[in-house]
Amino acid sequence: MQRSSWLGLAFLSPALIVVFLFFLVPVVLTGFFSFTNMSTATGVKGGAYVLNASGLRALTDAGLPKSTLEQIEGAGYRVDAKGLEALALDFGKPVAEEFAKLHEGEVFSKRRDVERALKDLRSNPIRKTRDRKQAADLFKRSLMNERFDSPTAFEAALEEAGIPETDRPLITEVAYTGWVWTTDNFGFLFSLDSTWQYAKNTVIYVVFTLSFNVLFGLFLAIATFYLPAGQAAAFRAIWFLPRILPPVLYIVMWRWFTWDTGFISTVLSGFGVPPRNWMLDTEFHAWTTIVLINGFVGASMGMIVFSSAIRAIPASMLYASEVDGASRLQQIWYIILPQLRWPILFITSYQTMSLLTSFEYIYLATDGGPGGATEVWALAAFHTALNNYGGNLQYGLGATYALILVVIGLLASLAYLRLFNFRNLLVKPRIEG
Amino acid sequence: MRISIENFTKTFGDTTVIDNMSLDINSGEMLALLGPSGCGKSTTLFAICGIHRMNGGRLLFGDRDVTKVSSQKRNVGVVFQNYALYPHMNVYDNIAFPLKVRKESKAEIDRKVQEIATLVHIGELLQRRPAQLSGGQQQRVALARALVRKPDILLLDEPLANLDAKLRLEMRSEIRRIQLQTGITAVLVTHDQVEAMSMCDRIAIMDEGRIVQLSSPKEMYEDPSSDFVAGFLGNPPIAFLEGSVDEAGFRLANSEVTLPVPAGITLPGPGSAMRFGIRPEFFQPDNALKVKGRISFVETQGREELYDVTLENGAVLRSIQTQGGSYRVGDEVTWGIAADRILAFGPDGDRL
Ligand SMILES: Nc1ncnc2c1ncn2[C@@H]1O[C@H](COP(=O)(O)OP(=O)(O)OP(=O)(O)O)[C@@H](O)[C@H]1O
Ligand SMILES: [Mg+2]
Repeated sequence: MQRSSWLGLAFLSPALIVVFLFFLVPVVLTGFFSFTNMSTATGVKGGAYVLNASGLRALTDAGLPKSTLEQIEGAGYRVDAKGLEALALDFGKPVAEEFAKLHEGEVFSKRRDVERALKDLRSNPIRKTRDRKQAADLFKRSLMNERFDSPTAFEAALEEAGIPETDRPLITEVAYTGWVWTTDNFGFLFSLDSTWQYAKNTVIYVVFTLSFNVLFGLFLAIATFYLPAGQAAAFRAIWFLPRILPPVLYIVMWRWFTWDTGFISTVLSGFGVPPRNWMLDTEFHAWTTIVLINGFVGASMGMIVFSSAIRAIPASMLYASEVDGASRLQQIWYIILPQLRWPILFITSYQTMSLLTSFEYIYLATDGGPGGATEVWALAAFHTALNNYGGNLQYGLGATYALILVVIGLLASLAYLRLFNFRNLLVKPRIEG
Repeated sequence: MRISIENFTKTFGDTTVIDNMSLDINSGEMLALLGPSGCGKSTTLFAICGIHRMNGGRLLFGDRDVTKVSSQKRNVGVVFQNYALYPHMNVYDNIAFPLKVRKESKAEIDRKVQEIATLVHIGELLQRRPAQLSGGQQQRVALARALVRKPDILLLDEPLANLDAKLRLEMRSEIRRIQLQTGITAVLVTHDQVEAMSMCDRIAIMDEGRIVQLSSPKEMYEDPSSDFVAGFLGNPPIAFLEGSVDEAGFRLANSEVTLPVPAGITLPGPGSAMRFGIRPEFFQPDNALKVKGRISFVETQGREELYDVTLENGAVLRSIQTQGGSYRVGDEVTWGIAADRILAFGPDGDRL
């Protein structure tokens, strides 16, 4: 490599670091998460070993013998230090000490046996049957809902409870509450009807918002081009407002605008239209608002890019078309639009990318409603992984949604890059190297 | 078609670029707008084709008042200073554009494009893009595009400025040929006096937004109305001698030398400043009115040789002579001025 190339690389290094930190690392992490079953339940660190009711059900389904299941549920009554301590606390030290002397280390299989042993104590302050029952329960030992921090501790407990060795591995696996590697997310995701609904929503969202962005941006750019400079600047500034407004504020304004006591309802009530929430009352209204909200923001960007591209057209070319007899519309159609081809392609590809992955305005406006009608893929990924009402955040599944989006984005970028490269093949570099 | 510009005024913001200009261009005539850079030539042209609105005055094509008519409806063909070809269209589409926007039929367009392409000799370039053409070829395309719909008026804004010397010579006669052939009224903007003199029927010399003189090339050369005009026309340029009025006639500045004043010139009062203009071809060894000087510069131009002669008072006269003289720098010479060809100018630059 030449010296200058190294120098170039050195200049680029801050950018490379940023790309690495904010693009590459998230993508790699997304890929990593999507092959796990991580969720709130499993945590993101390693897990503990606990058997609960649903674990027991899973074991039943797995065909574990009934006897083993019973052993798990009721591992008997063990007179151990922990139970004795509890006994001393509830019924006094003497009782506990005597019970320890007589039975420490013993295992009773039935509660009644424990009760009898308690009744037989010489210093017998536990008179009531109910109290005795309670006291006996202090020694009840079960594998259910008991937390073990390591597999060895859990296996030891299984052994102690006398569970057959052949059944132990399966039980250990089911009892594990941490995350594991899996490829099930992908199959599961595509088996869901809602996934296809998200895909459809995303297509609607991208196609309509993109069309609005590009066409409206073009319209604004061309319209302001023909206005006197002062008016054009004012007009552009107005259309630029949505972009520089903080998104939350912008959405709050839209909400107020569409609220059932908001602007539209108030105005229309004058005409006898009953007030309603114009954003969320129908799917059509929800989509219209979403497209407009995003479109106004996106159009300003198109407007700026197209405006500067139009102004880069030499004035004499526009003069020429006028003396050649072209009307305004013909001038736009034959002279201006053809020269905007590459800016239009650029904006289209750029906006496709950002729309595919953007959901913040939808999240703030409809949050996917009504009834999931505007839940786009990226929002679904967010909801699944980071924000849902069920409370169980499924990081793994959410990451799978995100990963698929990354793949689609990469493919689309490649397609667009090819388009741009195609241009480079046609146009030789202006400055020859 | 006849063009009449009456009391035309053009301002950009606070600056008045053209002030109260009047100009008549005869039908079928080719007129040159000649002047230094920034004098308002392009501005005048843009007003004629309607790109610039006039701030004051009237514009008539024939008897029709077109002052308020949009440029689309004036039927004026324009060749722009930088050609302004449409880069995204090939040559054919560029030429066809004025017809296409008038929605003429495909067959009609094709016929006219082929015809005009033959006229300007670019028949074999029709499929190329403007970027793939040389400057001269682009210029022909621009000319073809301006002419294809048979405009009433052709405006050319320094069409030859970007060409090399040989091609310029070629295109000069080419444009003139086409103009004569089509009989179109044409206005040629240029700051090249040779171009103006060789191509046009009449020349309008402009300076700072005013027309200083309007006459035929020969008349303008021989009978300039001011020292500005005299200095603008002619290559190598005219030489000026500074001096003042004396009882003996014209007395050179800083010198005892006096020259007789040609007959027919009314002198201003004694003592007032004045200049003599002497063209190089009228300062020759054989002429009668002798002046002494030293050759300070020799330039061989092939067929001719150009000498600068510095007089005793430091003023410089130019002489152009056919090959053969064996003068060198430093030689003392006594050459003569053709007395009847001296142009005399008063203190304000006006011809006396
Ligand atoms: N759009 C404009 N705004 C302000 N001033 C202008 C504008 N166009 C031209 N001018 C000024 O008007 C004057 C005349 O310009 P014009 O283009 O007519 O000159 P020109 O004679 O064609 O010169 P050149 O030979 O360099 O083309 C110049 O001083 C120029 O600065
Ligand atoms: Mg000009």
